[in-house]
Amino acid sequence: MANRTDPAAKSIRGTNPQNLVEKILRSKIYQNTYWKEQCFGLTAETLVDKAMELDHLGGTYGGNCKPTPFMCLVMKMLQIQPEKDIVVEFIKNDDYKYVRILGAFYLRLTGTDVDVYRYLEPLYNDYRKLRQKLADGKFALTHVDEVIDELLTKDYSCDIALPRIKKRRTLESIGSLEPRKSVLEDDFEEEEEKEENEQIDGLDNGVDERDYYHGRSPIRERDRDRRRESHRYRDRDYDRDYDRDYDRERGRGRERDRDRERDRDRERERDRDRDRDRDRYRIREEKDYGREREREKEREGRERERRDRDRGRRRSHSRSRSRSRDRKRHGRSSSPKRRADGPDEPKKKKEKKEKKDDGTDHPDPEIAEANKLRAALGLKPLKL
Amino acid sequence: MLEVVLNDRLGKKVRIKCNEDDTIGDLKKLVAAQTGTRAEKIRIQKWYTVYKDHITLRDYEIHDGMGLELYYN
Repeated sequence: MANRTDPAAKSIRGTNPQNLVEKILRSKIYQNTYWKEQCFGLTAETLVDKAMELDHLGGTYGGNCKPTPFMCLVMKMLQIQPEKDIVVEFIKNDDYKYVRILGAFYLRLTGTDVDVYRYLEPLYNDYRKLRQKLADGKFALTHVDEVIDELLTKDYSCDIALPRIKKRRTLESIGSLEPRKSVLEDDFEEEEEKEENEQIDGLDNGVDERDYYHGRSPIRERDRDRRRESHRYRDRDYDRDYDRDYDRERGRGRERDRDRERDRDRERERDRDRDRDRDRYRIREEKDYGREREREKEREGRERERRDRDRGRRRSHSRSRSRSRDRKRHGRSSSPKRRADGPDEPKKKKEKKEKKDDGTDHPDPEIAEANKLRAALGLKPLKL
Repeated sequence: MLEVVLNDRLGKKVRIKCNEDDTIGDLKKLVAAQTGTRAEKIRIQKWYTVYKDHITLRDYEIHDGMGLELYYN
């Protein structure tokens, strides 16, 4: 019968070699005209002739999943199970690139891990173009090394699930394979040397400029900003921060700071109003309420001073204020969160809004999970 | 949001929550995530009408609770 595996064939991965191709695809191949006409009674030699006539590779295409001739020949090879040296010959031949790919594909399906890496990796150097038939029937351009990379890294190609092989690192660690030596290694070494030489030359030229930039290097500014922001989130001490920053940026950035202060003050005023409204509706102890009032009074006083822009008075007041605030910190921890973050606040609000847009924060756990899956697939969240 | 039921009459019956303006291709991806088959292998039919990937559920007039047939390519 035409579709039975050669009785002398060995079983691959514990089963009939033809079972490497799953049932639906297998039946599609058996019903295919190309299989029935051209692949009947093929032997290893006549198979080579048929392989030389190939002009594209691919899986199934079209609405009813028609297999390509490439698929049919792969199936035929699984059926007759040629010897390993014949397959290696297919791979080694240089003239016919589709014969090479056919051999490589068959070896990936049936060969051992070591064989797969040993015979397929040299094919990385082959840059020839290939024609690939996509699932909608159109052709696409690909290259030999791209196909080999797919075979070695992915686990699904041409509509066939590729058997799992061990990773290269595992094989190297047990010693069956040597570490991979890329053909481009020499080129990489040359490039590295070139880069090093360039760096050395560059350092000699721009020393002065570098020093200047080191003084105000972006990294240090970033650290400063980060430290400043982290304190804001704790929502105490921003006055102390302000002083620290003030001292540091005395030379250059005072203008910037002043502007930022102004913004901060504006934000704080807004917050104060908001907080006042909010606080009115909250159940509080007398202690906290008293403390809040004191804090607000102090803030007003602080702003007045800032408006004066008197450095000395501000500093001394800040010191006393921070001391008194230390005392109050223990009490404040129980009071509601107060945010006077200035420019950070709108940013944080935006982040919160974005998360909610994603829908993964929905109270119903089923919908939240569904939205998470949809986000992972790249779909928009559910419209409720 | 609507919920469709897909049944392959061989033991796999899944309920999928989706939007009306999702395409059939998106629905296949969601089914694939839930059943474990690959999205390209799934075929969604209603009697002899095979549903195409690029058309939305709203255009196919698929409503909440409707049952679809799940086949494989």
